[in-house]
Amino acid sequence: MMRAIKILCLVALVLGCSTVWGLDFGQELKKALKEEVQQKIAPSSGDAQGGNLLSGLGGISQEEEIAIGRQIAGNLLGASPLVKDKRLQKYVNNVGRWVASQSERPDLPWHFGVIESSDVNAFAAPGGYIFLTRGLYRMLTNEAELAGVLAHEVGHVIRQHHLKILQQSRLLDMGSKLIAKQVGDNNAAQKLIGSGAEVVARALDKNAEFEADRIAVVLSTRAGYDVFAFPEVLQQIGHFAKDDGSVALLFKTHPHPDDRLEKLGLAMGDRFDAVNGQTLEKRFYRLKP
Amino acid sequence: MNPIKITLVIIAMLATHPAWAAESGTALKADALKAEPFGDAKTVAALSAGDKVEILKKNGGWLQVKSAKGNGWVRMLSIRKGEARKGSGDAAGLLGLASGRAGTGKVVATTGIRGLNEEELKSAKFNETEIKLAESSITSQPEAQKFAAQGKLVARKFDYLPAPE
Repeated sequence: MMRAIKILCLVALVLGCSTVWGLDFGQELKKALKEEVQQKIAPSSGDAQGGNLLSGLGGISQEEEIAIGRQIAGNLLGASPLVKDKRLQKYVNNVGRWVASQSERPDLPWHFGVIESSDVNAFAAPGGYIFLTRGLYRMLTNEAELAGVLAHEVGHVIRQHHLKILQQSRLLDMGSKLIAKQVGDNNAAQKLIGSGAEVVARALDKNAEFEADRIAVVLSTRAGYDVFAFPEVLQQIGHFAKDDGSVALLFKTHPHPDDRLEKLGLAMGDRFDAVNGQTLEKRFYRLKP
Repeated sequence: MNPIKITLVIIAMLATHPAWAAESGTALKADALKAEPFGDAKTVAALSAGDKVEILKKNGGWLQVKSAKGNGWVRMLSIRKGEARKGSGDAAGLLGLASGRAGTGKVVATTGIRGLNEEELKSAKFNETEIKLAESSITSQPEAQKFAAQGKLVARKFDYLPAPE
């Protein structure tokens, strides 16, 4: 009986998720589960208890997405704490929130921060938790560049790129997570994300990065910033030697900046020829040396 | 570190650090060199991928360049600033050492600020104090609008870009 419930849960999960995350993943699982489901579930398909469980499950809600993201963000901060500069953190939240407000998810409780690391990198967790390293922040020369970097991460959040990765790798755990939830296990988010903040260290599909780059220039433009500030940052990152330690993780998890610039250039074409925006170099908050 | 090695490190830094790099560039792809910084301006010459250029000026998304094929304006995204992509030669390796790291991303000298590698991220433990601190700096949408107005940033409509090809 327990096994039957578990399978029912999985089925519910797959059905629920396929609408949220697209077909590629859902179709495969449906197919894989079909046989087992038919064998094991069919005899008890009229079971009332199973029916109740099914209706109580489904895709991931926004609350769950935020809870998952908060857990990942808290873990990331466990490895690299925030730079202790309140004005800097507020400034980054101001720029980030303005950029995120131009997306289709303006109402998420967006959080932005600069973390203590000399690496050059930025991270996004589901639900709108976004961090960039001190090393990357130091490279920036104006507000439009910061806006572009944050907009790239906003792109990952609104297209749920990391959530999809968790989804693919932790599906069975999710089944057990949701079952565990029924019996009151409150450590569900941690179970779902695996160890620490490893999900932010995992390479996304190349196309997810190219997509986030395209979103970055569009959100920057919508927010009134100079659209060419973000490509300028990519140019700068491209200057790092391949084996410079401070970009090791970034280069491992992203296509080379040259390839990103090329793809972005093709996508932008002449669409931005008549677009003018601000760089706001004067307002840019500079780190104390 | 012996003096020769230190000199090499300095040379490597001068050669690779963007601040000291001459404003040279390489064409990332074939593109037209225009007489003016507009898409419909007259085409002066055709740049091929790999062509070297000298960057004179920037204007919006356009760079004014000098090249063996002629002088004119080319789209910024068609040019990679600096030298062509390098392999991981000795200079790069030394540069890695100079910044206190080996190629693994591991800190090999104490700098006070650490890098982030996969192992650290994997073993990271949840920090409730830090996440609460991060959440305390939240900016509301009205606050963000005020901040934008202070910078004279005006929101405008612009469609998402389709993937190329």
